[in-house]
Amino acid sequence: MARAAAPRSNPLVAAAFFLLVALAWEFGVRWFEVKPYLLPSLSAIATAFWDARGLLLEHGLVTLGEVLAGFIAAALLGVLLAAAIHVVPIARSTLYPMVIALQSIPKIGLAPLMVVWLGYGFGSKLVMAFLFAFFPIVIATLGGLAGVPSNLEEHFRALGASRWTMFRRLQVPAAMPNFMDGCKVAMPLAVIGAIVGEFVGSNNGLGNVILTATGSSQTALTFAALLAVTLLSLALFYVVELLSKFIWWRAI
Amino acid sequence: MGVAIRVENLTKYYGGPGGTKALEDVDIAIDDCEFISIIGPSGCGKSTLLRVLAGLHGFDTGSARMFDAPIDRPRDDVGVVFQTSNLLPWATVRKNLTLAVEIRHGQAAAAAADVAGMIDLLNLNGFEDKYPHELSGGMKHRVAIGQALMQNPRVLLMDEPFGALDALTRDRLNVELLRLWQRDRKTVVLITHSIAEAVLLSDRVLVLSERPGRLIANLRIDLPRPRDPSVTRDLPAFGDHVVELSRIMGVV
Repeated sequence: MARAAAPRSNPLVAAAFFLLVALAWEFGVRWFEVKPYLLPSLSAIATAFWDARGLLLEHGLVTLGEVLAGFIAAALLGVLLAAAIHVVPIARSTLYPMVIALQSIPKIGLAPLMVVWLGYGFGSKLVMAFLFAFFPIVIATLGGLAGVPSNLEEHFRALGASRWTMFRRLQVPAAMPNFMDGCKVAMPLAVIGAIVGEFVGSNNGLGNVILTATGSSQTALTFAALLAVTLLSLALFYVVELLSKFIWWRAI
Repeated sequence: MGVAIRVENLTKYYGGPGGTKALEDVDIAIDDCEFISIIGPSGCGKSTLLRVLAGLHGFDTGSARMFDAPIDRPRDDVGVVFQTSNLLPWATVRKNLTLAVEIRHGQAAAAAADVAGMIDLLNLNGFEDKYPHELSGGMKHRVAIGQALMQNPRVLLMDEPFGALDALTRDRLNVELLRLWQRDRKTVVLITHSIAEAVLLSDRVLVLSERPGRLIANLRIDLPRPRDPSVTRDLPAFGDHVVELSRIMGVV
């Protein structure tokens, strides 16, 4: 497929700009004598990150587990629900409006309820990650299923394909790129969901680290934990991006 | 020679009786192994007629039979080639060639199909494992025709299969189509809006009127076979047929 070349960004310019911002932060904080509990210098954050690496890794793995479990559940159930809505007429008039309505609930507002229902442990975080990731995957997959080119559907009908064959050989592969797009949106949201869950009530995880560090005015550690969350989120996004390289086609 | 297709007093409305009349009292008899072209102005219902023959569309009154059985669903012994090549973007040329066989007769039949022979026949050597986006427009249409031929159909229905191609590619594919037909002698119904193409390829040309489509001419093309565009087009009879059809269609 021919794609128009995107305007290229110069990596050198980007690196120089990043460096400039970092230097402004580092020395701005010193010159203006900003209190460290308000905004620590970059070097203090880096030191805190290194000193707390064991802690961050331990809690990072907890958060990673919550995110992955929630995301995978969202991907599986999301695809199933989208398929059901697409294939079963009654589901389109019952489940679909329900999905739209539920999607409009601010998921953050559900976090305290999940803690009440599922406790302070893994379960409530999994569900929060799931709730954040689920709807983008359903909506994207539904879009993909609905967007199957009608000429291909007619072609399959002319070949006498059963509905199941049509679903398996045409609709599923045609919807895959949209599903992957949904996953790309959903993965960072799953991280947010898990962190929100940890904020509301938890004994561990990076959200818990952020909360306790902030509570004890260890702002450098707060930033270090934020950095860890960001790196985690980036790494997970990159994994999805890598997986989506296997789904290179667009059914146009 | 038996009769392959018999259409009698066929009338079809879009959206049922009361809607727009698409076809009116169409009577057609097509012999087994005959090459028929149907031409007419755009919107005359010729594509609709083909879809009726393919078992994709119903009709309101009259009858449509193929090999003495009513056409009420897509038949296993009919291959359809559409105006768009309708290849699966995620499947290789090889997989696209066997798609119709696989859907109609299963994986085992597809695995046993003579793909190499078809690749040879279509001059697609070296492209077996390419994907559709790596092919030119003409190649895609060759694969689409190949897919239909791999089913070894008794009847080949073609809906302006080369309509979207440039004149040069179209000529080449016409040559190939002639070559394939002269080898296999199937019953072919070709929808086209090109008078020259219809005369060059067909035993008989049927002309449909503007909507509602009625049969207004049935012209036998008595040009010698095997035909070759570079020779056949220079025959006086070729020009006579083209002029006659042009007059019928009101072009001159």
